[in-house]
Amino acid sequence: MNTKRILVVDDAATVRLYHRAILESAGYAVEEAVNGIEAMEKVLGAEQPFDLFLVDINMPKQDGYGFLRDLRQQPIHQVPAVMVSTESQEADREIAWAAGANMYLIKPIKPDVLLTNVHLLLGKGDAA
Amino acid sequence: MALIKTGQPRTADAADQASLPRDLDALIGQLGQTDTGIRRQAARQLADFQGSVPALTRQLLRETEPSVREAIFVALTLIGNSAAVESLVTCLRSNDAAIRNEAIEAMKSLPNSVAPIMAGLLSDPDPDVRIFTVNVLESLRHPDVEQWLIDVISRDRHVNVCAAAVDLLGEVGTESAIGPLEALRKRFADVPYIGFASFLALKRIREA
Amino acid sequence: MADAIADITITDDDFLKFREFFYRKTGIHFEASKRYFVDKRLIERIEITGYNNFRNYFTFMRFQPSGEEIQALTNAMTVNETYFFREEYQFKCLVQSMLGEVLKYKKRGETIRIWSIPSSSGEEPYSIALYLSEYWPEIANWDVELVSSDIDTQILNKAREGKYSQRSVQNLPPTLLKKYFKKTASGDFQICDDLRGAVEFTRVNLSDPADTRGYRKFDVIFCRNLLIYFDDLSRKQAAEVIYEALNPGGFICLGHSESMSRITSLFKVRKFRDAIVYQKPEAQ
Repeated sequence: MNTKRILVVDDAATVRLYHRAILESAGYAVEEAVNGIEAMEKVLGAEQPFDLFLVDINMPKQDGYGFLRDLRQQPIHQVPAVMVSTESQEADREIAWAAGANMYLIKPIKPDVLLTNVHLLLGKGDAA
Repeated sequence: MALIKTGQPRTADAADQASLPRDLDALIGQLGQTDTGIRRQAARQLADFQGSVPALTRQLLRETEPSVREAIFVALTLIGNSAAVESLVTCLRSNDAAIRNEAIEAMKSLPNSVAPIMAGLLSDPDPDVRIFTVNVLESLRHPDVEQWLIDVISRDRHVNVCAAAVDLLGEVGTESAIGPLEALRKRFADVPYIGFASFLALKRIREA
Repeated sequence: MADAIADITITDDDFLKFREFFYRKTGIHFEASKRYFVDKRLIERIEITGYNNFRNYFTFMRFQPSGEEIQALTNAMTVNETYFFREEYQFKCLVQSMLGEVLKYKKRGETIRIWSIPSSSGEEPYSIALYLSEYWPEIANWDVELVSSDIDTQILNKAREGKYSQRSVQNLPPTLLKKYFKKTASGDFQICDDLRGAVEFTRVNLSDPADTRGYRKFDVIFCRNLLIYFDDLSRKQAAEVIYEALNPGGFICLGHSESMSRITSLFKVRKFRDAIVYQKPEAQ
C-alpha cells in the first residue's frame, strides 16, 4: 500500500477543506498548513515525506514563493509543487518557475482539473 | 567554568546607547542608516511620533531587511491614525506579497481606523485589493462585518472576491446571510468551489 | 437557572467552528478526542458571560473590541501546570544540539547566556540549570549565565525560595531528586543552594519596553506557553523583543503547540533530532 501524501498549504480553511475533499476522494492522504512557515515545520517534522505540495501564493508570514524557495534548498528528496493563485498575470508564472514550481493553477480550481494535474505530476500509478 | 550569576542581566549595545538622540529628526535620520539594528530601533521609537508616518512609509517601500520592515509595520499600527492607515492601503497595492500580507495583518489590528474606509475598499476597482480587504475583515471586530460581507456576495462580479467573503460568512454569518448565499450559489452555478463553500456556510448558519 | 444550564449544547459544527477560530488565534489544535474537554469549558464561558447559546456567545467573543473574552477563553482552554522537566525534549535539544551550534560562534572566555521567561515558580529555569549540570559535559569549559523573568513579583519570590511539592518534582529521575533536593519536614522538596544561586530572577513585563531594555546578547531563550495569551499585535512586539534579545545565531524555544509561523517571519525554523526550534539568522 503506497498512499501518496499531499500537503495543502493555504490560509483559508474552506479552501483547504475543498482541496482535501477532492484529493481524498481520489485516495490521497492529505495534511494541511496555514502558511509557508508552518508548512516547512510540517515538512521537517514529517515521519513520512510528502509526495506533492499544493501551495497558495498569498499567505501571511511567508508566502508561497518564499516557502517554495526554502523547500528547494532543503536536503530532502524534492517532489512536485503546484502553485495556486488568484493572479493570472504572466509575470507571476515566471516567479513561480524561478522559485521551483512545477505547475501553476488559477483559483478556484475545478475538481477534475486539480485531479488531472495531480495525477500527471505524481506519475502513472494510483493514489493508493 | 560553571553556572554563574553576574547580577547584571542587562547589557547594552550600539543601538541601545543613551548617546543616540531620540528626537523626531534624528530618528528619521537613523531610519536610513546602514546598521540594521539602528534602523530597527529607530522604527520602534518612531511609533511614538504621529508625524513620522511619511518617513516610515518611504523607508518601508525601499527596506529589504524583513526585521526592519516588521518593526515599521508595528510602528504604523501603533500610530494607527488615518495617515498610517492610508500607508497601509498603499501597501495593499504593492507587488511584494510580503508587504501586502503584513499590511493586511496590521489593518486587522486597527478596526476603528479601518472601518470608515472599508466600504470604499470593498468597491476598489482592483479585485485583489477587494480580496485583501475581505481578508482584513477576518479579524476585524466591528458590528458591520456581516453586512459588508453580504454586500460583497450580493454585488461583486469577481468570483474570488466572493469566495473570500463566503469563507468568512461561514464563521460570522447569521440568518441574514442565508438568502444572499443561496443567490450566490445560483449566480456561480458553474463554479464548484462556490457551491462547496456556500453549502458549508449555509450548513453552519442553519445548525447554529 | 438549572434548566438554562442543561439547555446549552455544543453541536459538531459549533465545535468545528470554534476549533478553526481558536487554532487561528492561538495555534492550539483540538483533536476530536478533546471534545468533552472543550465543550465543558465553552459552556462554562457561555454561562459566565450570560449568553444562552453558542452562536451568540461566539459572535460576542469574536467581535469584542477589548479581546478580554478571547483571553479568558484561552486561559480556560489551556492547562497551566508547571513542573520540573516539562517538555523535556527541549532541554535535551539544548544540550544535544543547540549549545553545540552556539559554541561555534562563541569566543573562548565568553559567557553563554540563557533567558527563561516566564519563570513562573522556577521549575523551568531550575530544570535548565539541572540539565546543564548533569547532561552537558561542556559546562566544565564554559560559564553559563541563567536569567529568568516574570511579571509577577510574588511568583518570583516563590521561585527564589526554591521549594516544591511532590507533584512538581514527580518527573525527575530519583537520582537527580536525591542529588539536588532535600526533603523538608513538611514533605516539600527544597532545591540545593548551588542551583538556587545559579539563576538570576528578575521582574520583567515582556510587553513593556522600559522593562526589556538591555536584555540582549542571549544565546538561548525559552519562552514557552506565554505568547498564546497575547493578542496579535502584542505577540509581534514580543517576538521583536526576543529577536533583539538574541545574539545572531541564537535560539528561541516556544511551547509545544506554539509556532513562530503565526507570529513573525523573523526566525529560521531549525529541526534537530529532539525538537523544532527557531533561530535568529546568523551574522552575515
